[in-house]
Amino acid sequence: MRSSLKHLFSRLLFCVGAAGVLSAGAVHGESEKVSYAELQKVQGRVRELFAKVRPAVVAIQIGNGTASGVVVNESGLVLTAAHVAETPGREVRVVLDDGRKVKGTTLGLDKTTDAALVQLHDTDRRWPFAEIGRTVVRVTPGDWCFALGHPGGFDKERGVVLRVGRVIRHTANSLQTDCVLMGGDSGGPLFNLRGEVIGIHSQIWEARDHNMHVSMAPFLRSWEEMKNSLVIRVWGTGSGGFLGASVDVNAAGRVEVLQVLEGSPAKTVGLLAGDVVESLDAREMRSVTQFSNAIRARAAGDEVMLKIQRGSSTQAIRVRLANRPKEDEG
Amino acid sequence: MMRGLFLSILVPVLLRADARPALSGEERTNGEQVLKEVTPMLPEARSACAQVVDATGGVLASAVWVGADGYFLTKASETPEIEKGRIRWEAAKSAAIREIKRLPEHDLLLAQAVGVADVKPVVFDVASPLPEYGEWMAAPVKGGGEIRIGVISARARGIPGLGAAMGIRMDEKPGRSGVRVLSIAEDSPAGAAGLQGGDVILKIDGEAVADFKAVHESIKKRQPGDQVQVTYRRKDKVEVARVRLASRTRIMMNWEGEDFANGGISVRTDHFARVLQHDLPLSPEDMGGPLYDLRGRALGINIARVDRVTTFALPAGVFWKQVAPLIEADRHPPRAIRP
Repeated sequence: MRSSLKHLFSRLLFCVGAAGVLSAGAVHGESEKVSYAELQKVQGRVRELFAKVRPAVVAIQIGNGTASGVVVNESGLVLTAAHVAETPGREVRVVLDDGRKVKGTTLGLDKTTDAALVQLHDTDRRWPFAEIGRTVVRVTPGDWCFALGHPGGFDKERGVVLRVGRVIRHTANSLQTDCVLMGGDSGGPLFNLRGEVIGIHSQIWEARDHNMHVSMAPFLRSWEEMKNSLVIRVWGTGSGGFLGASVDVNAAGRVEVLQVLEGSPAKTVGLLAGDVVESLDAREMRSVTQFSNAIRARAAGDEVMLKIQRGSSTQAIRVRLANRPKEDEG
Repeated sequence: MMRGLFLSILVPVLLRADARPALSGEERTNGEQVLKEVTPMLPEARSACAQVVDATGGVLASAVWVGADGYFLTKASETPEIEKGRIRWEAAKSAAIREIKRLPEHDLLLAQAVGVADVKPVVFDVASPLPEYGEWMAAPVKGGGEIRIGVISARARGIPGLGAAMGIRMDEKPGRSGVRVLSIAEDSPAGAAGLQGGDVILKIDGEAVADFKAVHESIKKRQPGDQVQVTYRRKDKVEVARVRLASRTRIMMNWEGEDFANGGISVRTDHFARVLQHDLPLSPEDMGGPLYDLRGRALGINIARVDRVTTFALPAGVFWKQVAPLIEADRHPPRAIRP
């Protein structure tokens, strides 16, 4: 296990370095200084909300593993992570906040974004539940938030574990926070200071600030499909098109193609490593983020016009974006 | 071995497509901007903290001053031969150390900095009720150089102890002599002392061990932090390793390096009468330092870095009644009564 982690790390470091993401010195714009009074306010709000939402947080025992989840309606629908549920129709043991054990069944899941649903069996019971934050775009870097879950498994003496922090990043399907997570937290809820679920714990990276949560976007997008026990393997058009080229900003400050994936639209139209993307649909490209967002902002099936500089020649290439391939990482 | 724990390791694609600018490092919960606001409110937290270093200057643990005349408390299991080291504070000052008493039930060590008369001791709050879920806490790190904040993240409770361990799996079949080591846990005391799979353990602290049960019994009766001499045979050579034992719980939880703790775990993480649990981003070297709330009350001592999300602190009420008389007795040793 350790050796595979190490391997993963070196690969990750490489990938991230190549994509220039973590090193990108993005600065949060118009934030205000955090005052002592604000910390006091955060404390008061967290304590009040914690008491309210705590009964909705559960531990999920599945196979030999232990994870977390959160009940989001009165009839016992639970949000968790797809890597916890794995497939629809699995029976899971669910431990409630007070230690009572009940049963549930996994419903649908979205493997790409790590979103999944579980239904508790006793649907007539009025389950304590937490509200979902339905306005996903409202989540903003700098927002205070708190994470709940059962790291290491359910422990009645210890109780559910609380962590308070801030939203660091908000991407198409996920949130990054400095609420520190570990094994067993997967599937547990991240709350905003209105007491709404805004994320589901999903992944960590080595640094303490690298805690990733699935945002509510994939859940809300595929709600009915997931309730109907479907496995969603590709991102819907709503999450954007796929080109299949990784890029970085070169020394001249231009967006340069690093790598072209086999079988991707980029490969089909003959894009090459070293090509400089001057513009996309006549809009000048200046950063990795801008380029990546421009691709994602378009649906699979859309055509875009890339103006490419290759050596000393400039050419226009029309490319039709595809769906993200299964298990796609790029 | 424990159950599987769900949480996968980050796949880079999730970080790739930024929709909006990220929060800069300074603005994060323990970023400069937040700490700049908190730090001036806690001058005592920084001046009450010091560091115990070994003979080569490596930091072993933090310490908290409990008497202006140099008395301090630190984490016992991280400071086995404390008089060989020194205590260091305010960047440039340092002094030799006189060990006074170890309190194994709390994993604390009372000692005195030799020839020191002007440090600023902590005043523990033993009267207030224990802080609860969600209350902000603060602690000095780097010997008082900086402050970190976090919240109480679980119930105050006792932590049972499962004894000490070296972190080895042994062959249960008796060999011709000694006990064969099958495998070594990740980041374990045995590994740190240089033991390897295939070694044959002959003696522990000079006593011959016939089978794996004898090794087990011998280790079990010791405390995490204790040192044992392990005599072993590798190929045809007999060698001796000094192994500093760790908590059994810690080793079982992290057999294959699952723990992923960022900066390591304390040697002893269990067997405490009562602890507060918080989420401050601390390191094992910060253990032994004081824990404050944002009103500047000293609530206890950080005692164990357990995993990525967990640090334990001893509430002052647990140990102070025991420690205060020890300091008094040391200051005023009983004299012979005149006839």
